[in-house]
Amino acid sequence: MRFALDVYRRLLAVQIRAQLQYPVAFALDLGGTALILIVEFGSLALILQRFEGIGGWSLVEVAFLYGMVEMAFNTMDMLFSGFDPPVFGRLVRQGQFDQLLLRPLGITLQVLGSRCETRRLGRVVQGGLIFMLAVGLVDVRWTLLKLVYLPVVFASVVSFFGGLFIIGSTITFWTVESIEAINVLTYGGHEMMTFPMTIYNDWLRRFFTFIVPAIFLNYYPALYFLDKPDPFNLPPFAPFLAPLAGGGILAAALAFWRFGIRHYASTGS
Amino acid sequence: MRLFWELVKLSFQRQLTYRAATLAGLATNFFFGLLRASVLIALYGARREVEGISLDGVITYTALSQATLAYLSMFWWYDVMNSVYSGDVASDLLKPMNYFVFWLAQDLGRALASLLTRGLTIMIAYAVFVGITMPQGGGQWLALGVVLALSWLVSFAWRFLVNLASFWTPNAQGVGRFAFVLSWSLSGFLMPLRFFPAWFVRLAYLTPFPYTVNAVVEVYLGVLTGPGLLRLLLGQLLWALALIGAGQLALRAGMRRLVIQGG
Repeated sequence: MRFALDVYRRLLAVQIRAQLQYPVAFALDLGGTALILIVEFGSLALILQRFEGIGGWSLVEVAFLYGMVEMAFNTMDMLFSGFDPPVFGRLVRQGQFDQLLLRPLGITLQVLGSRCETRRLGRVVQGGLIFMLAVGLVDVRWTLLKLVYLPVVFASVVSFFGGLFIIGSTITFWTVESIEAINVLTYGGHEMMTFPMTIYNDWLRRFFTFIVPAIFLNYYPALYFLDKPDPFNLPPFAPFLAPLAGGGILAAALAFWRFGIRHYASTGS
Repeated sequence: MRLFWELVKLSFQRQLTYRAATLAGLATNFFFGLLRASVLIALYGARREVEGISLDGVITYTALSQATLAYLSMFWWYDVMNSVYSGDVASDLLKPMNYFVFWLAQDLGRALASLLTRGLTIMIAYAVFVGITMPQGGGQWLALGVVLALSWLVSFAWRFLVNLASFWTPNAQGVGRFAFVLSWSLSGFLMPLRFFPAWFVRLAYLTPFPYTVNAVVEVYLGVLTGPGLLRLLLGQLLWALALIGAGQLALRAGMRRLVIQGG
């Protein structure tokens, strides 16, 4: 285990050193990625101001949802860069995945260490700022449980999206080309979780409750943190299902990943 | 000229062969469109009309923004850049054709195919499953045709210019991301531009971006008529010419800087 962690650390260090070789490009990238968030959130804020909130949620309350998803998604995108489906698809297509399989090291570890998009850090920091601003303005009544639960929710959302990335990558064992439909779950889930769940119609909400349990990762915890009533009348433990949903998706994804590797037959090119 | 249409045709056919990708893309467009529609319906709440756009109109907007996405290919288009980094640019520059026109022809073929397979299909799917509004009368249809053509030209000229950054730097993707993000919200793709405060709209109209997605939306929904419509079309034409001119100048300067890579 210590050996594995050490190798992982070294793989990441190589990545980061490589990215810092072009400092100007790196800074531009970091700035550009951060700009995405300013433009995106800025536009959203202007619109929400104009329409006086959405589905009974004020701008700062939506900022709470937005900040959490943004922080967690981009942290995941950084840690799981190797599992980004289009990137991983290229690995499979060009036969580089076969090379990784030949090395005497855990394959999951190698893929995780194969890439680290540090420019995502810009968005993580900004998502964090938006989140903190929201927490400050919305006046959360903090309890010990809330303080303890907050990092758990964050880790759950990271695991959830990480699991989706792994599933998307595993599918490329069969399809070779990364399938765009997985974007519906990853980027779609990301966009969906930015808003209160009451605004979606029944089938969309059911899909994100029972098939992909995104509703428990951001919306229900937010109801708990902001002391808002539950419009769907689920049992009172619903806000605490985040680790189960996030961890469950990640565990299922890893199982599917191992299944995929056992059936992997290379592309032969 | 024959060479031009030959290229358009080839590119058109190439785009049509990606059938699985088209289907996956359609599903994604439809899903994101519905997601956007949910958000806009919730924003409207009890309002019947905002800034001249009715509730049906705004649902149609979500269809239009998704339908034009592939056609205009406004975001994350790195084809020229990739050819510079792969070294293909060397043989492309040797072709007996202006480099800009060479890419223009290919993008036209791609755009036409996308308009058919992605654009039209999305609109039909929306019309069947959700319900959309339609342009009224021949005049509006004609204006829609013109605005569609010009919006593609503005979009292409802008993308070409951005991609030329790769003639100078070995890492132009950062420049591209930066440039495309600006158009993300200023083009009216994120939300109809009319919903933003006046200062923001004024700012947006100083850039070429509203002359792409937002122009198509305003003409389709019929919120612009008479002099306003003419001003929009004129603005599109001027921006297209300006961006093409800038592209030519940048190309001439870039030729002296270009380093052919790869092998």
